[in-house]
Amino acid sequence: MKPARLLLSFVKRAASSVLILFLTVSFLFVLIRIAPGDPAQKYLSPRLDSSLIIKIKSSFHLDKPLYDQYFSFIKNASAGDLGISYKYHRPVKEVIFETLPFTIFFSLTAFILQFIGGLLLALLALRNYKKFWDKFLSGGSLFLYAVPTFVSGMFFVYLFSVQLKIFPSSGIKTIGISEENVVILFLDYLHHLFLPVLILSLAGLPVYFKYFRESLEENQHKLFTLYLRANGVSERRIIFQHLIPNSLNAIIAYAGVELGILFSGALITEVIFSLPGMGRLAVNAISERDYPLIIGCTLTAGILVILSNLLADLVRMKIDKRLIKGLLH
Amino acid sequence: MFLTRTNIFTFFLILTAIFTGCKQSSTPTSEQIVVAIPADVERINPLYSFSVNEANISELLFLSLVKHSWDANTGDMKTEPMLATDWEWNSDSSSITLTLRNNVLWSDGAPVTLDDVIFSFDVYSDPSVESYLYGSFDCFPADNNNHIIAEKTFEKLSDTKLKINFIAGSSPSLFAIDFPIIPKHVFEKIPRKDIATAKASFEPITNGPFTFEKWERNQAIILKENPKSFLHKEGSVKRIIFKVIPDYNSRLTQLKNNEVDIVEYLKPEDAAEIKKSGSLTVTSLKGREYDYLGWNNIDGERYKKNKSIAPNKFFGSAKVRQALSMAVNRNEVISGYLRGYGELANSPISPIFANAVNPGLKPYSFDLAKAKSLLSEEGWTDKNRDGILEKNGKNFSFTLTISSNNPRRIFAATLFKNTLKELGIEMNIEQLELGMLIDKINSKSADAWMASWSIPVPLDLKFSWYSDLAATPMNFPSYQNKELDALVDKLDTKISLQQKNEIYKTIENILYRDQPVTFLYWVDNVIAYNRKIKNVEVTPLGAIHHCWLWQY
Repeated sequence: MKPARLLLSFVKRAASSVLILFLTVSFLFVLIRIAPGDPAQKYLSPRLDSSLIIKIKSSFHLDKPLYDQYFSFIKNASAGDLGISYKYHRPVKEVIFETLPFTIFFSLTAFILQFIGGLLLALLALRNYKKFWDKFLSGGSLFLYAVPTFVSGMFFVYLFSVQLKIFPSSGIKTIGISEENVVILFLDYLHHLFLPVLILSLAGLPVYFKYFRESLEENQHKLFTLYLRANGVSERRIIFQHLIPNSLNAIIAYAGVELGILFSGALITEVIFSLPGMGRLAVNAISERDYPLIIGCTLTAGILVILSNLLADLVRMKIDKRLIKGLLH
Repeated sequence: MFLTRTNIFTFFLILTAIFTGCKQSSTPTSEQIVVAIPADVERINPLYSFSVNEANISELLFLSLVKHSWDANTGDMKTEPMLATDWEWNSDSSSITLTLRNNVLWSDGAPVTLDDVIFSFDVYSDPSVESYLYGSFDCFPADNNNHIIAEKTFEKLSDTKLKINFIAGSSPSLFAIDFPIIPKHVFEKIPRKDIATAKASFEPITNGPFTFEKWERNQAIILKENPKSFLHKEGSVKRIIFKVIPDYNSRLTQLKNNEVDIVEYLKPEDAAEIKKSGSLTVTSLKGREYDYLGWNNIDGERYKKNKSIAPNKFFGSAKVRQALSMAVNRNEVISGYLRGYGELANSPISPIFANAVNPGLKPYSFDLAKAKSLLSEEGWTDKNRDGILEKNGKNFSFTLTISSNNPRRIFAATLFKNTLKELGIEMNIEQLELGMLIDKINSKSADAWMASWSIPVPLDLKFSWYSDLAATPMNFPSYQNKELDALVDKLDTKISLQQKNEIYKTIENILYRDQPVTFLYWVDNVIAYNRKIKNVEVTPLGAIHHCWLWQY
């Protein structure tokens, strides 16, 4: 009986997610079309015949009434066809699938580093509770949080690429590198992505540090910790088996949201380092009024946000069984 | 437990080992040139060379029948052979006979033939293809859709001789046949409507001095030399890489760091510092782009409502527009922002067109007293002494719309706002995202705006200064002048070059007098390139131009 109810609750959740996505996309579809600007605008040029714009608009079906465009979009989208990107001239799905693996790898790496880095630093701070390192890390994290990514990005590029020449300043891999040797290719990717991942991780790290530090501090002073200590349980066991699991709950809920946001693209880092990620793809699509691609990017981001939150909830349930009980009642 | 101290330590140890083990490998080798471009191209197909970079890349991959180079002495272009080795016009210029070079191959090994040439004209002019030349084959026998009728236009005299017939009475020039030829054997298999999205538009078969090597999307386009090309010479560049770097500061850093070799559109404020570098040359391309203050000459609201024309309540009068041109201190922008990388503009006819431009015109000088008197002649006076001019109870207060990401225009607009205030004119500045700005100008909703025009070479005025507003959507200020229309029409007829130049001078006088917009300044394209490249020729036709002539 219980698994059935659990399943039902997930079905409900999936249905509401699909409904949210449908409403978002429908709203966006109308909004971008009534907003100022026009995908054919770029064909307004002294070099081109003025009738070309009308021709191109008609091939984009923008000359049809809005409801016509909407219904044919819904019809095609439900069959999995999101249309052809106005800028890339290829199916939106293809363009997104080309960009998505990089974004997932990039955001996930940064996310893991933020999460683990924040936890480790919080542990370090607590070990030196209210001593120098604790104060230094708290002050330092505030400073790091206050520095905008474009400033830290340019600084790291200046230091590591221009002065020290250790890391390349842009791109995802060496241009024209042979793809035959997978190991070299992989190392080349890592070499190029070190700085961007570092920048992106540093931006989120202070938040996790603060969350972990405060949560661990709170639990450290709770009675159960005192009880464990009094029973002679080792400090290491107390931290890893009791303090951390008890602190994770709220942080994971936050992490789920944060991961979703990371998945929708890290625009500034992508621009500074010329990386082909979802952030740049979406912003360029907006500035060029590439309607099908805007919808595609939004839909992808929406799905990823929902999935990240789902993942976060699953992890929380795994850690804290009471949540499953809550769901069943 | 996953998060043990040992695991975390090992993780970081592995990371460190990887990164210290890697050597920086993105430095360009001495045999390749890296050109920085701010955005990726859409396609590598000459049919769709809508942007400058697409055209630059096309030029290296695909040959035209003829090529045009800039002649600074005449301020005009000279024609040189490319795929056609020679050509001959008939007595009344109604047809031309070309000889095709016979040793040119496509990159898949097939020879370039006259069939490719004829096919190219057919495809470029086909409405269903929507090429960048759509609608511009006026001189050729064509159907109602402007699609060239091959049977009437082409006569194959032999395997290498082709006669092209033009419409009687038209005035064709060699520009009409200067576009890249495409391979028939590749494109004939693709339905015309699908060419825009076909694989051949992304992985081209080429015949130029370079061949296509690789396109790493949103990263780089890599071209390599074609030793089989007749343009190939010993010592020319082995590879040209167009590297996509969207951020301006990153382009600058990589230029200084020798990671890229050419960057265009530098900010004037950065030019001085770059000049100090021993390895870089700074130069500029003059006279292709001018900034202007656009005045809506007509009542935009009324035009939108019922297409009827009434003068704009502020800018409908030429005298008011003249006064405004006198009330903006353009020199201050040239010295303060452009730092000398620009010159005053009198009209849309650039000083690069040495024989067409009128040397006698003196730029409107900054003269608030004269501006005030012109405004008062038009009825704009400050009777109520509130510091703002008024006419028929209406204050001279308007909004200037500019694009939000252009520091030059923000600088200039702020400056102009202050001097106009001294004159008693209230100008509010509205910054809009580019797409919204174009929308506003295009729909005639803006009263005043600041923007720029990039001028076409060869000179063309019809696209923006012709009175028929429906047929001339780029006449943004909606300037209408029958005298000017007649002159522009005359330029399309069979007249001598000298006569044409005289007409240009007359047109320039009219535009100077009427100031349909306030022509501000010609803005230089400031270019920096690594000294290792020799033979870089920066002409009004571009900097990334005829790159097969570049050497180390």
